[in-house]
Amino acid sequence: MKTHRNTKARFVFLLPAAIWVLTFTIFPLVYSLYISVHKVETKMNVSREKVPMLDASGNPVLDAKGNPRTKIKINREKISTWTNIGFTNFKRLVDDPQVHSAIKVTSIFVLVAVPSQLVLGILLALLFNQRLWARSFLRAVMLLPIFATPLAVGYLFFTIFYEEGGPLGFLGVPFLSNPDWALFSVILVDIWQWTPFCFLVFLAALQGIPNELMEAAKMESKSKWGLFANIIFPMLTPTIVIVLLLRLAEAIKLFDIPFALTGGGPGVATQSMSFLAFRTGLRYFDLGYASAMSYCLLIIVMIIVTLFFRKLRQSYA
Amino acid sequence: MKPKQNQHPLRYSIYSLIAVVAAMIFFFPIYWAFSTSLRNPLDTFTVSGLGIPFLNFEPTLTNWVDQLATEEARKAVYNSTVIAVFASILALALGIPAAYALARFRFKTISNKDLTIWFLSQRVLPPVATVVPFYLIMQFLNLLDTQLALILINATFVLPFVVVIVRQTFLDLPIELEEAAFMDGARNYGAFLRVALPLAAPAIAATGLIMFAFTWNEFLFAITLSSKEVITIPIHMAGAVDTRGVQFWFMAVRAMIAMIPPVLIALLAQRYIVQGLTLGAVKG
Repeated sequence: MKTHRNTKARFVFLLPAAIWVLTFTIFPLVYSLYISVHKVETKMNVSREKVPMLDASGNPVLDAKGNPRTKIKINREKISTWTNIGFTNFKRLVDDPQVHSAIKVTSIFVLVAVPSQLVLGILLALLFNQRLWARSFLRAVMLLPIFATPLAVGYLFFTIFYEEGGPLGFLGVPFLSNPDWALFSVILVDIWQWTPFCFLVFLAALQGIPNELMEAAKMESKSKWGLFANIIFPMLTPTIVIVLLLRLAEAIKLFDIPFALTGGGPGVATQSMSFLAFRTGLRYFDLGYASAMSYCLLIIVMIIVTLFFRKLRQSYA
Repeated sequence: MKPKQNQHPLRYSIYSLIAVVAAMIFFFPIYWAFSTSLRNPLDTFTVSGLGIPFLNFEPTLTNWVDQLATEEARKAVYNSTVIAVFASILALALGIPAAYALARFRFKTISNKDLTIWFLSQRVLPPVATVVPFYLIMQFLNLLDTQLALILINATFVLPFVVVIVRQTFLDLPIELEEAAFMDGARNYGAFLRVALPLAAPAIAATGLIMFAFTWNEFLFAITLSSKEVITIPIHMAGAVDTRGVQFWFMAVRAMIAMIPPVLIALLAQRYIVQGLTLGAVKG
């Protein structure tokens, strides 16, 4: 890589962003670890006191007998008590059935949704790499889901999966009311939203394969399958690894779609890990426990990313 | 690999047909929202067929008019726009110089590659891991329910994207142009501002648009940090489910309002999406 002469200027360029990221990500993560070893109890202290009633000009209001009238003022005071409880929150995770269920839901989701997106993406890319009627128009249509607001997509599919009167009602499938189907529905929505992304990336990668190589390969392999298995697939592998990593890291964070589509239900059938941590922290205000949960999620993501790390580094060489 | 020119007509027709069906499947939900948004509430569940306006039902704009007339809807559009614009600008302002540094200078203590990977790794961080600390920090700073809080956080989450994508753009520019500027007496800042930045402008604009779409779509932090005042579009949507149940007709309008800007961006920035979403790892 050719570079400019090294001057101190390079730090002026780099540091603002580096410091920003350090402040806004490392600090919250350290703080989160601190929270996770605490039991945070927030109480509302409500007290009443009698205060004299004043009129607009600040003079006390008198009753019929001439005594100052009083009113009751309610004082609300939020008090948080932080107790250091060591790793109790982490131990709680081990036996919590909600956590088990959330891990199961997230795993099934990731293991079904991501491979489906990759396979469908490759198939569609192979299809669109042929001569087709209105190809660029159809390709543009396929792009629409990529940036569609995930929460809106969730609600949108709520109307589509609606069992009575929805457009798929004729199928008689309990898309949202049956626990197994509900998870499957969440997976379907994610497949709808993310297959186009995989498709687009794979199509770009396919179009990057040099023509001469394809021609030469065609001479040698007899079947289409041979062509795919021996030439196309190996050429696509680096791209597949990147897409797989990006999708895995993203899919584990699953939150918006079940929030909108199923509300985590029925029961806890579609409550993902992010969803559970969010609920625990910001609906039940068990901040310490929620932090412990999200830390575990963070560690799982880290493990996955590390597994891919070397591959990833290579692609930035 | 370019598409083959001479193909069997039958194969061409079958492939085209499959492609059309696939495109229709991906288009249908968006179309359905559009169709529902034009229906009279009473017609929501009774429309037959594919719900084609004029053919299957008499379309009406009342849902749109009613929805856009509410103060809350306008506030949501306003808040989402302000937050997305400023978060993108902030991320670009911080990210572009860093991208330039990584593309054009050599860092010794930590290599350029590791710095890039470090920025990149921020992106895979699950947002939920920082939700609780950010909630407490913003509470402490008295920034709960403000646009500023969401601008700062969204800028943080899109910043790594900007660094990694724009770095690739600078790498793709011929360095000789900047060297020519040095010959003319320009210093580093001059070469950056007058030579590299204008050349990278189209890619930077596209990156800005993609960041706008990300921020526009963000939901987790919005619902955590905002309660009454700073309602964004996704929160406004979540509010459409009330005690009377889901009002499909308003829901459809809100979904359309939410999706139109990012979907348009996807079409506008088509050329940059592959590179953008794969963080520069795959060229579009």
